[in-house]
Amino acid sequence: MKRLSAWRERLVDFCFPAESDTWLAVLRIGLGVQVVLYALSLRDDWSYLLAGTGHGLISRNLGEAILSLESDLVPRLGWLVTLGTHIGLHEETVLSIAWVCLVASGCGLLMGLASRSAAILAWLFHLCAAKSGGFVSYGVDNFMTIGLFYLMLSPLPDRYSLDWRLRKSRPRDPQLLGFWRRLLQLHLCVIYFFSGLTKCLGTGWWDGSNIWRALIRPPFNIIDPEILIRWKYLFPVAGIFTCLLEIGYPFFIWNSKTRKIWLIGICAMHAGIGLAMGMYLFAFIMIILNLAAFGPGLIRANLRTYQPGTVGRDLWTSGKRAFIWGSVLVRANSHLLSTRRPPLLESVVLKGEPARHARGTDARSSAGDCTSAVNRCGRLFKAARERAD
Amino acid sequence: MALNKRRVYLAGLALQLLLIIAVSSRDMFWVFSKSRIVFPESSKNFWRRAEQIASTPLGQRLPRSNPVRQLLTGYLHLSGIEAGSGFFAPNIPNSYKLVFELRFPDGRVEYKLPRVSNAASVLRVAGLLDMIGRTRSEAFRQTVVKMLADSVWREHADATMIRAIFGSVVLPSAPEFEHGKRESYEFLYAYDFSVTDEATEQRLP
Repeated sequence: MKRLSAWRERLVDFCFPAESDTWLAVLRIGLGVQVVLYALSLRDDWSYLLAGTGHGLISRNLGEAILSLESDLVPRLGWLVTLGTHIGLHEETVLSIAWVCLVASGCGLLMGLASRSAAILAWLFHLCAAKSGGFVSYGVDNFMTIGLFYLMLSPLPDRYSLDWRLRKSRPRDPQLLGFWRRLLQLHLCVIYFFSGLTKCLGTGWWDGSNIWRALIRPPFNIIDPEILIRWKYLFPVAGIFTCLLEIGYPFFIWNSKTRKIWLIGICAMHAGIGLAMGMYLFAFIMIILNLAAFGPGLIRANLRTYQPGTVGRDLWTSGKRAFIWGSVLVRANSHLLSTRRPPLLESVVLKGEPARHARGTDARSSAGDCTSAVNRCGRLFKAARERAD
Repeated sequence: MALNKRRVYLAGLALQLLLIIAVSSRDMFWVFSKSRIVFPESSKNFWRRAEQIASTPLGQRLPRSNPVRQLLTGYLHLSGIEAGSGFFAPNIPNSYKLVFELRFPDGRVEYKLPRVSNAASVLRVAGLLDMIGRTRSEAFRQTVVKMLADSVWREHADATMIRAIFGSVVLPSAPEFEHGKRESYEFLYAYDFSVTDEATEQRLP
C-alpha cells in the first residue's frame, strides 16, 4: 500500500512539475511566427486552393464531404461560407476574411496581445483551412494543429506578452504550466518513437538509400543530384543518425546529460530537412515544438553549472549561434515567400507529330506515347524550375 | 492545485496519450501490413490484425453513424492527432506527376502541369498527386483528375480536348545515377476530356 502511494506521488510529481512560463512564451511566439508565415505562404493561392464553387484547383466541397463521412463535428470553411452567405457575403469575401483573421491572430500571438483569444482564433481558422483543404494539406498542418491546440489550452498569458504589461495579468499555477509542458513533451516522445521505429524497420534507412531518394524526389529535389552524389558516403551515416535520433528521443531527451545533444541533434535534423528539401515551414514548426518542450530548462540548467568567468563567453557563443541560425531561417523563409514558381510547368508548345493515344479512360495500350509525353514534360518542368531557382 | 482538479487533468492526460499511442500504432501496423519491411511477407496478416486491434479504442470498428465514433474522430481532428507521423517511413515512395495535354482547334498541342503560385503550394500539390496515385478507388481518382483538368481548362477556354496523363516518377538509386541513369516516368493512367457542349455541362460535379 505504501509502495502504491509512493508511486502515485511520483506520478503526480512527474505530471505536475512546477515550471516557469518561459516554455509557453517560446511556444506562443514560435507559433505566432509560424501562423503568419503559413498564411503569407498561401496568400496567392488561398482562394485557389480553398474555393468550393469551381474557381479553384480542386473543389473544397469534395474534401468537406469526405470529412463529413468521418465526423460532422470538425470545423471547416464551409461553415463560415454558409454563415457569410446568410449575411450576403460572397464565398471569396468570406475566404479573404478568414485569411485576414488568421494573419491577425498570428500577429496577436506573436505580440502576446489578447493571447488566449488569438490562440483560439488561430487554431480555429487554421483548422478550418487544413480540414477543408484536406487534399492539399501535409505534415506541417498536423503539427500546427497540435501546437495550437496545446497553446490554446495552456495557462496564457506568459510574462513576455503584451497582456502581461497592459492588463497586469499574472501567472497561473506553476504546476499547471508544468502539466501542459509535460503533455507536449510526452506527445513529442511518442511521435518520434513511432516514427523512428517505423523507419528502423525499413531497409532503406540503414544503407542510406532513403536519404538519397528523399533528396532527389520531386518536389524536394532542390539540391542538384550531381552535387549530392559527391557526398554518397555520408548517406548511410545520415540514415542511421536519423533512425537513432528518432527512436532514441524518448530515452535520451529526459536525461540532463544527453538532453542537450539530443535536442541539438533533432533541431539540426529538422533544419537540414528544411534547407535541403525546401520544407521550411515543416522544419520551423518542429524546431519550435522541440524548443518549447525541452529548451528552456536546458539553458537554465547549463547556466547554473557555469563558472563565473566563463558565463559571458558562453552566452556570447550561444547568442552568436542563435543569431546565425535565426538569419538562416529568416533568409530561408524570405526566399520561400518571395519565390514565385508559377506554373509548375511553363506554357510550352511542343512541336512535332501529335502523340496518339487510346480513347476513353483506359489508355494503357498506348503507354509508350504517354510515357514519352510525361518524360518530355518532366524535363520541361525541371528546366522551368531551375530557371525559377 | 486541488486534488479533484488534478485527477481530472491526469485523466485527460491519460486519455490523450492513449489516443496518440493508439493512432500511432494503428498507422504503423497499417504501414507494416502494406510495405516491404524487414519482417517476412507471412507476417502481413499479423500486422493487419494488430491494426484492427489498435483501431478499437479509436472507435473505428463502430458503425460510422455511432455518436461515440463521431465524437472520438471529431476530437482526434480537433487536436491534430488523427494521423500518425511516420513521414517517409519505412521507405521513400515514388512521387507522381500529372501532365495535361491540351489540343486546340488549330491543331496546336500544349502541355501543362497543375498551376500554383509558390514553392509552399508546390509541396501541397505534390501531396495531392501522391493521394491520387495511392488511392485504390478509380472513381475518386477520376473525379479528382477531372477537377484538376477543369482548373486548367478555365485558363484555356479555347482548348477542344484535354488529356490528363498521370505517371509515376521512377527515381534512380545512387549507383544507377553514377552510371548515367536519370529519373524517368512510368505511365499509369490517362483520361480524355472533350470540350463539347454536352461534356462541358457535365464535366464537373
